[in-house]
Amino acid sequence: MGSLTLFQIIVLAILGILFLGIVVAGLRGWSTRRESFLWGFVCFVAAIATLRPKWTTEIANQLAIDRGADLVTYIAVIMMMIGFWMTYMRLRHLRRELTSLVRHIAILEAHDASGQKSIPKESDAERA
Amino acid sequence: MASLSSAVRDATFVVVPAYNEGPALESVIHEVRAAFPNVVVVDDGSNDDTGAISRRCATYTLRHMINRGQGAAIQTGLEFALLRGAEYVVTFDADGQHRVEDIPRLLCPILNDECEITIGSRFLGEVTDLPASRRLVLRAAVLFTRVVNGVKLTDAHNGLRAFSRQAAQKIRIRQDRMAHASEIIDLIKNTGLPFREVPVRIRYTEYSLKKGQSAKGAFRIVFHYLVGRMVD
Repeated sequence: MGSLTLFQIIVLAILGILFLGIVVAGLRGWSTRRESFLWGFVCFVAAIATLRPKWTTEIANQLAIDRGADLVTYIAVIMMMIGFWMTYMRLRHLRRELTSLVRHIAILEAHDASGQKSIPKESDAERA
Repeated sequence: MASLSSAVRDATFVVVPAYNEGPALESVIHEVRAAFPNVVVVDDGSNDDTGAISRRCATYTLRHMINRGQGAAIQTGLEFALLRGAEYVVTFDADGQHRVEDIPRLLCPILNDECEITIGSRFLGEVTDLPASRRLVLRAAVLFTRVVNGVKLTDAHNGLRAFSRQAAQKIRIRQDRMAHASEIIDLIKNTGLPFREVPVRIRYTEYSLKKGQSAKGAFRIVFHYLVGRMVD
């Protein structure tokens, strides 16, 4: 391996910090084991592609793509789309949970015209 | 107005979802309460005087601590009405566009066991003062419902609806925002609940038109609805 360029050093440093963050998040339980593994693997592949750019070109050629950089771009775009979709789905789920919580509180704190709390009777709740 | 017995009126809960509807809400509540004693206003996290007006005038006031959208507010109102023992639930907009006289018309087919759900249709009744742009958006919604939901309706986004207790128990609105109207059509189709469209008249005022959906809003509704259909 020849000497590293400045760009490679910067990218590898960023990947190293990211990898450290992933490991810490995994150990502290902020992310699941599967998520930690997935993102750790992504960091690892990115580091390999940075260190050995010719390897990506060879793989790209196997897939009938001219340049390794194009292959990396395609994969990055696909991964970003998957990431956006997963984030969107998680957001939807959170919104739904938030709505359930807001609804529950609204029903518990319902007021009638006299300003009294109007918690539905248990018998009514059973009917519903 | 078709006559309803007092027992039916007492058993009917009118759910009014309201978000920043201060200017119109008081008269809407008074109008509805004059005919139906159980008016449930769901204040959807308003930051004007909607909550204060509702607490003063409505039979029941529920407040969403934060804004969750009209679909969420309707579902909250439905659940509360069922818990209070409602036999019939009507959804009624807070902006003054609906007429109380149309509620008995919506309830009659349900009372006669002809169906479990009735949906108001402005295009079956007399249409007055409807701007051309709004008509176009509503017609597009009807076409969309026909193609995507596979249900033939004349008015797909009318907030005036009536449910029997059994129907309200089966309806679970998951679209928090405005896409709930299309979702309700889906739920009706999937549950096999018999429904009918009933002619109603919409009052188009400057205020209600301002509160209504724009073409841009319609695209957002379509997006939320399609995503919801794919993943829910």
